[in-house]
Amino acid sequence: MIKKSIPQEILFYLAVVFISLVVLFPFLWMLSSSFKTQTDIIAWPPKLIFSPTLHNYEKVFGEQDFLKYFINSTVVGGLAVGLSLVLGLPAAYSISRFTQRKLALFILLARLMPGISFLMPWYIIFSRLGLMDTYVALVLSHMLIALPIVVWIMSSYFNSIPVELEESAMVDGATRQYAFWAIILPMSGPGIITSVTLSFIFSWNNFMFSQVLSMEKTRTLPIAVYNFVSYAEVDWGGVMAAAVAIMAPAILLTMIFQKFVVKGLTMGAVKG
Amino acid sequence: MASVDIVNVKKSFDRAEILRGISVRIQDGEFVVLVGPSGCGKSTLLRMIAGLETITSGEIRIGDQVVNELAPRDRDIAMVFQNYALYPHMTVAENMAFSLRLRGTSKAEIGQRVARAAEILGLTTLLDRRPRQLSGGQRQRVAMGRAIVRDPKVFLFDEPLSNLDAKLRVAMRSEIKDLHQRLKTTMIYVTHDQIEAMTMADRIVVMREGRVEQTGGPLELYDQPANLFVAGFIGSPAMNMLKGSVEIGRRTGFSADNGTFVPLPPSPALEGLAGRALVIGIRPEHLHIAGDDRDGFEVAVRIVEPTGSETQVTAIADGAEIIALFRERQTVHQGDTLRLVPMLYHLFDATSGERCATVTA
Repeated sequence: MIKKSIPQEILFYLAVVFISLVVLFPFLWMLSSSFKTQTDIIAWPPKLIFSPTLHNYEKVFGEQDFLKYFINSTVVGGLAVGLSLVLGLPAAYSISRFTQRKLALFILLARLMPGISFLMPWYIIFSRLGLMDTYVALVLSHMLIALPIVVWIMSSYFNSIPVELEESAMVDGATRQYAFWAIILPMSGPGIITSVTLSFIFSWNNFMFSQVLSMEKTRTLPIAVYNFVSYAEVDWGGVMAAAVAIMAPAILLTMIFQKFVVKGLTMGAVKG
Repeated sequence: MASVDIVNVKKSFDRAEILRGISVRIQDGEFVVLVGPSGCGKSTLLRMIAGLETITSGEIRIGDQVVNELAPRDRDIAMVFQNYALYPHMTVAENMAFSLRLRGTSKAEIGQRVARAAEILGLTTLLDRRPRQLSGGQRQRVAMGRAIVRDPKVFLFDEPLSNLDAKLRVAMRSEIKDLHQRLKTTMIYVTHDQIEAMTMADRIVVMREGRVEQTGGPLELYDQPANLFVAGFIGSPAMNMLKGSVEIGRRTGFSADNGTFVPLPPSPALEGLAGRALVIGIRPEHLHIAGDDRDGFEVAVRIVEPTGSETQVTAIADGAEIIALFRERQTVHQGDTLRLVPMLYHLFDATSGERCATVTA
């Protein structure tokens, strides 16, 4: 790397700070608003100095059944991602090794189609089957989010694993299935972590499917935010506090696995 | 240990014909090298013996069992891949034990066999390392160790040395040969490097475009190449070749199309060939500088490359490049004119490429 002079260095960091501010502004706004009263939030000009209150968080964790939503989100996200791995890893392997490009495209199509176009048929099917407001309906719908992510990330990850590894295992006495299990999967850690992190976050943040398919029993976290919106008024403080509480696990997850996520996403881009 | 019979084997991918009917009989305990330029189908053939590619038609037998429909794991073969294909998440010992574990071998015996293989290959101190902590040569050895612990019927090698540097390649070459002499197991070895083939093989199968061009011992291929392709492929530097025809009468020799006339001593082999379109092939090491007793053909020296033990001279004869290799030291310089005589030459039919005669002059 070329060494920068000091003015260049200063300019560089100024740019970094400026861009970060632009990107982080909505988040910072949300964070600060979550500690403000309703009056402070809608005050004009915006109040930069205010006396912080935990009232909004008390509402989120007290009045709202936040813990229940949290468990629902975790169960739905966990099951959807888990089942997507069970189905998606072998699918991705077969797409990679038997070059099933059409199948891969078809799966991508499911991801590209607006989710709302699935909702009507789902609503009808699930209500006829009496599956409304059940984990089954939510997990199945969230698999539409998680499965394509798993298949796409993992098939390009498998592409980067030399095919000779399982050929060697097969000559050594393994079946293809065993070679996949004992040789390929243990090498796929970074890819699996990437696809799990991303698909879990997408499921975690999904609002639309939960809003339509769940009711009292299975509501997920994003609905908790929505609960602060009523016909009469929008409780901005509650919305902001709930949003912060929801984002925390996603941010935590990303920070922990960031290294893998970047590696997993760029896998196969460069032969190395 | 077993023989391998390849009977009229063909392979096509979609419409492309990769192998056009290959028949080779490999004896029990033989070291056979499949050699040819890239795309000749040698690796495909090896992979078909391993069971990693299906056989379009024909038959492959290992011992007296037809293996066409047998999965790789049921063929009792071991294979060393070009990129070694070591399992990165396993230690050296685990890599070597993998196949034994799959076969349900007892722990004690696995330990014993791994230790013995490690000793043969000098890997004893590296057993707990992982592949990424090893050098290229060590990885190569682990790949071989993984093959030999099994004591398989046949060893298959797919260009195992091409990822190593030149010095290591030479060392591993003799190591593999030594291993063959110790184990006496049938080995089939694929390479594009004719020197590897010449130095290691009991028998060489030269392939081109999905066909076998010639099968034979290394010296047989060198001394009596069946056709122009084998003649040009075996031997380094490659054989000099000139198109033309044999002249007998006022002067006897080979009159090349570029105008060069190579005087040749009269020989019964030349009669009957006069007038036919031929190619003369002269190995660089069979070209000597003409003395007073014999007439040679004139070349202009362009490059002189002395290596100490020999001198390679690249010269031009009427526009055609001629390479000569001298064992004795030569005091030739660029721009000099030399008169060369062939001590041994081959004549090939120009159309079919088949060899018609080999003559010691």
